[in-house]
Amino acid sequence: MSNQQVNITVRNLSVGYKKGKKMLAIKEGINVDAHSGELIALIGSNGIGKSTLLRTLTGFQKALGGEIMLNDRKLCSFSVKELARVMSFVSTEAIRVQNLRVWELLAMGRFPYTNFMGTLTEEDNKIIKRAIQQVGLSGYEDRMIDQISDGERQRAMIARTLVQDTPLIILDEPTAFLDIRNKYEIIHLLHDFVKKEGKTVLFSTHDLKISTSEVDKIWLMLDDKVVEGAPEDLILGGNFEQMFHSDKVYFNGESGDFMLRKTSLGSYSLKGPEGKTATWTSRAMQRIGLVCDETNPLVVITVPLQEKNPVWKVEINSVEKLECTSLYELTNELFKRLSLVSIWPD
Amino acid sequence: MVKNSLITRDLILFGMLGLLAVVLFILDIFFGSLLIPFKTILQVLSGTGTVNPEIKSIVLDFRLPKAITAVMAGMALSISGLQMQTIFRNPLAGPYVLGISAGASLGVAILVLGFSSVFTLGFFSISGSWALVIVAWLGSALVLFLILAVSVRIKDILTILILGMLFGSASSAIVNILQYFSNESMLKSFVIWTMGSLGSVTSSQLNVLIPSVIVGLVLSFFSIKSLDVMLLGEQYAKSMGLRVRNVRFMVFTSTSILAGSITAFCGPIGFIGIAVPHIGRLLFKTARHKILIPSSLLLGSIVMLLSDIVSQMPGYESTLPINSVTALVGIPIIIWIILKNKKFSSV
Repeated sequence: MSNQQVNITVRNLSVGYKKGKKMLAIKEGINVDAHSGELIALIGSNGIGKSTLLRTLTGFQKALGGEIMLNDRKLCSFSVKELARVMSFVSTEAIRVQNLRVWELLAMGRFPYTNFMGTLTEEDNKIIKRAIQQVGLSGYEDRMIDQISDGERQRAMIARTLVQDTPLIILDEPTAFLDIRNKYEIIHLLHDFVKKEGKTVLFSTHDLKISTSEVDKIWLMLDDKVVEGAPEDLILGGNFEQMFHSDKVYFNGESGDFMLRKTSLGSYSLKGPEGKTATWTSRAMQRIGLVCDETNPLVVITVPLQEKNPVWKVEINSVEKLECTSLYELTNELFKRLSLVSIWPD
Repeated sequence: MVKNSLITRDLILFGMLGLLAVVLFILDIFFGSLLIPFKTILQVLSGTGTVNPEIKSIVLDFRLPKAITAVMAGMALSISGLQMQTIFRNPLAGPYVLGISAGASLGVAILVLGFSSVFTLGFFSISGSWALVIVAWLGSALVLFLILAVSVRIKDILTILILGMLFGSASSAIVNILQYFSNESMLKSFVIWTMGSLGSVTSSQLNVLIPSVIVGLVLSFFSIKSLDVMLLGEQYAKSMGLRVRNVRFMVFTSTSILAGSITAFCGPIGFIGIAVPHIGRLLFKTARHKILIPSSLLLGSIVMLLSDIVSQMPGYESTLPINSVTALVGIPIIIWIILKNKKFSSV
């Protein structure tokens, strides 16, 4: 196993395409860093140039200007062979090769190290075996990769980067198309590589919630610039709000996630015990467009004490009284009454 | 690790295929319009006993070169098909559908119809034969690089196939125009070439064909490791340290030599290149070229020898055109592939 560590330094980088002699820059003046032992998420809306930046960092595409340094060496000075021992890559493309076993896919990761016929040594076999165990695919060695689930295939692709044994791993949307459990498992795996083996891992993603809670650093691509920092720094600095200029979506700095804007139906306050039930009652109210207001609420809800057969008691305008046995009923009743109020105000 | 039982299974399969190829090779020499006793054929081949010189000539000058040509054609076309399928990541790629054979025909047509003086060298002489294969290689390479140029811009598999067919049709159109403008004697020698078959290859042409095919095959052996990672696509291959451009150049050179040489001497033979690699994948259940290349060599020989035996129509005087037989053998396999991958994803 290599004990190399890689730091990435990006200075004044322009990424984009060359069309003939014209340069079409997608993003200019990028200054970001990545250090070994860091899990880094690259976040940005669709079409903002995440993939272009990753393609440039992996050397598939030439930078239009500026510098990318891996430790003290310029990226463009690496040969394809040298780079394959420093950096491995997982793309968004789903690999659907037929008749290819998981073991054989992983063995391809030894490409930079094996001889001219690709013969695997004892050492190579050990590395492959270890990677299979690390990603939890033991017992899958002889399964065909087009006959396993998307999550399993993605884990196999990631195991292949372990087999390639590079201090730096770059992944383009590794959690796209996966269910929630698999998304968390993949991020957890990457987290492990970083913390246990001192690798540098950079991945692009749209899963804001997972990344803000798991990564060490975020590179956030905005329309005019790229900012970096711990997820919490970016939230506190108000950077996520700039991701969209939309009147339909806003960033909720409390929950760390994007939410849909709703026309306000009024205000509410809660009475009764605090806890899980109160939290989710609040969430339900916010979902239908009520805002919390302790001083002068339109709706006052008494949260039930017991978890079995709960009953929510509701007062509207201190007059109308309601009793509901589920939050579904509660939201429906409130929505019906309050939207009537807002349509025919008296 | 790949289980030992799988390795044993592969070895047994290779043994059986090898045996089958040898048996078919001898049968191919045995069948023909003149019935020669089996024992006599074995005697001629092993060089023992005294045999009627006329019979000896039939076996050594006609049937043996034809069987060797069948093996060469089967191996060359199958390997070029396999290489194309991997490089274009397209299960339906092959020298015939991509228009590579048509490109070779174009090369030959330009030589035969355009520069008749070359043919004063003689169609069957060694230098004439070399001129013929070289123009066929150039024609194949031209079409291959055109397809490559297009495939950089267009990733869609079916579009590339259609373009390959269009390039093929364009080559044929140019060939037709050349025929229209050429004089009678040139036309005659070209028509003789287009009717080419396995049997028309002479011993002196074999002296050109065999080394050409060997060079093409050796090049393909050198790409075994690289072709495996090319299965994952250019980006992955590059990220694992493969110099994609070099490999592509080597594979295209190999394919041009293999498909071009066979087309130069036997005329265009279709569908073997697509079908045979798939039989290999089906039998060996693998995507690794370490297995697929030798299996395509053996299966290509087997299918070609079998097609040749069928085309002799044992018991009848006349023979069927080899191209029709290979089409009837190959097309059902191709239909099966289409039905199997309703989505044309990848090899």
